[in-house]
Amino acid sequence: MQFLALVLDSFRESLDRKIFWVMLFISLAVAGAMFCFSFEPNKVSILFGTWELETDFLTVGGKLREDIIAWIVVDGIMDTILGWVGVILALIATAGFLPSLMQRGTIDVMLSKPIARWQLFLGKYLGSMAFVGVHATIFVGLTFLVCGLRWGVWLPGYLLSIPLMVLLFSYLYCISVLVAIPSRSTVAAVLVTLGAWVFFAGIQITDDQFSTNESWQQYDTAYTASRVVRWIVPKTADITYKAKQWARAAGSADLVQQGGIDPDEATEWAEKIERKRSAIPAYYTIGSSLAFEAVVVLIAMWLFSRRDY
Amino acid sequence: MVNVTEMTNWAVDLIDVRKTYGRSVHALRGVNIQVGAGEIFGLLGPNGAGKTTLVKIMMTVVRATRAYGTILGRPIGHRGKLAVTGYLPESHRFPGYLTGAQLLDYYAALAKVPRDRRRRRAPELLDRVGLTNWADARIDKYSKGMLQRLGIAQALMNDPELVVLDEPTDGLDPVGRRDVRELLADLRDKGTTIFLNSHLLSELEMVCDRVTILVDGLVARQGTLRELTDHTVEYKIAFTGDAASVHSTLASLGAKIEAGGKSGLVSIPGHNLSKVNETIDLLRSSGAMIESVSPHRFSLEDILVEAMGADANVGASHLPTENPASS
Ligand SMILES: Nc1ncnc2c1ncn2[C@@H]1O[C@H](COP(=O)(O)OP(=O)(O)OP(=O)(O)O)[C@@H](O)[C@H]1O
Ligand SMILES: [Mg+2]
Repeated sequence: MQFLALVLDSFRESLDRKIFWVMLFISLAVAGAMFCFSFEPNKVSILFGTWELETDFLTVGGKLREDIIAWIVVDGIMDTILGWVGVILALIATAGFLPSLMQRGTIDVMLSKPIARWQLFLGKYLGSMAFVGVHATIFVGLTFLVCGLRWGVWLPGYLLSIPLMVLLFSYLYCISVLVAIPSRSTVAAVLVTLGAWVFFAGIQITDDQFSTNESWQQYDTAYTASRVVRWIVPKTADITYKAKQWARAAGSADLVQQGGIDPDEATEWAEKIERKRSAIPAYYTIGSSLAFEAVVVLIAMWLFSRRDY
Repeated sequence: MVNVTEMTNWAVDLIDVRKTYGRSVHALRGVNIQVGAGEIFGLLGPNGAGKTTLVKIMMTVVRATRAYGTILGRPIGHRGKLAVTGYLPESHRFPGYLTGAQLLDYYAALAKVPRDRRRRRAPELLDRVGLTNWADARIDKYSKGMLQRLGIAQALMNDPELVVLDEPTDGLDPVGRRDVRELLADLRDKGTTIFLNSHLLSELEMVCDRVTILVDGLVARQGTLRELTDHTVEYKIAFTGDAASVHSTLASLGAKIEAGGKSGLVSIPGHNLSKVNETIDLLRSSGAMIESVSPHRFSLEDILVEAMGADANVGASHLPTENPASS
């Protein structure tokens, strides 16, 4: 009952934030925009025939057409709008939850209730996740439906992006919380978290370069360092990759095999990375990141429980 | 050994409570406070005396550096007892996105009040504090006094055995204050123990059974209002006429004289009837006419000022040169 009340309150608080409605608007706008496109034989029709683009790009029937549409939805729309813009907006929206809870005069009543401090903390934490879960569900759900109903391509694996994007958010949110507790500052929480995200992504890209580019590998120590750090930090890029991999009926490697894309040198290298990334098992990507999150959350919880208000 | 029945009589029994913020701010320096079950207890003291700190320790908001004792017969922080304690924090700030009714429901849910009881209790209490018309308005539209009323309602949602109110009449108009006093009296009649922090001394005088005066993190006075105010009375004798001839004799008796031309006022400290009569005789013998003789019981304010003594600085001992005028 107490927990439910906490989660419900987080949700009410998020409804009060403008960003909630901005995010909802974005989801509706994206789904609406997708709805305005249709892929017919020989042409792409925009706004129900207002504009028509003659193209035989999508006339290739069957699997390849589905792969291209899947690529548009997953890599083009989900990755950029949900995986980047959405996550950033969610981080901004939720960064203020703990500082607002920890305000003098607010926290006092909360702490006087017969509930452990760690439970209070966890209730708020899960409340933020619920907030993000709702948005991810709306976004993925709507785009999933448009893709299936309007374009005739059903991507059941795409629905896995809902929990995966919530996970991605939570890997970053734990940093936000860790900063917010000692500083009680929303701005600091957002900035440090975004910085950490850039760092995590940078590490994964660097490590990919090392492992696929022989000329880089002469720098032994740097290579080892990047591997160790990547091993520790949340795999934000990898989890997005997994989401995309599972969402698409087939990977883009298949596009190459089927002759849709010319395998020139650039794609050859891209393929190497592709292969390397798809070889990383999902349980490792998710599990090791969750371990990082658990440690950070435990530290944050300890700080939250120990301090005076 | 204290006998058991006596121990369980205390609703609040705090022993040697100490709190040091950081390294050097000694907010509480070994406080003992006992509050009997079912009484209205007032904690008073100058700004920075540590009143709020003590209350926060009782409510587990702040961790004591050291504290023994019990609240409602259990150690401080006992979950079951927190569930039957109501708390109104000093200068509280409630989430503005909730309505009054939602807030009561939310906070009561956190106090493990079952849903049907919350449903029943919220309208009752909103009515009791005069907020029925505002029940469904967002809290960020409330005035300061309305927030305070809501805060009091919030503290009573769980039908508490003990209510801890930090400055409950802060921001209330005179009618609101009277309402709160009546509410407190009602609660006491139902057997609720009330622990009150207040600056408004006259308020405490009207409602409290017992008070403790906290100065600089230590208990300076403790007792029933009668105990505190009885031993310090003074008599004031007003007279007309010229009593200049007996001024020096009066002064030697320890009386204070304020005389101006044709009338004057003599104050005699303490509860000393023979001195009063002696003074009257002296005044009459000098030809002055006695206008009135009135016993003057010290108010809490007098006692507080006396308890603060020369050391009337604001704040804990780390602020040696604060301006006392700011209190
Ligand atoms: N969180 C804190 N960190 C450091 N010092 C604090 C903190 N809270 C209170 N203090 C200090 O402890 C002392 C007691 O403060 P407290 O708020 O308990 O006083 P008070 O009696 O309630 O005063 P007032 O009548 O002004 O409300 C003050 O000197 C204050 O500066
Ligand atoms: Mg105070």
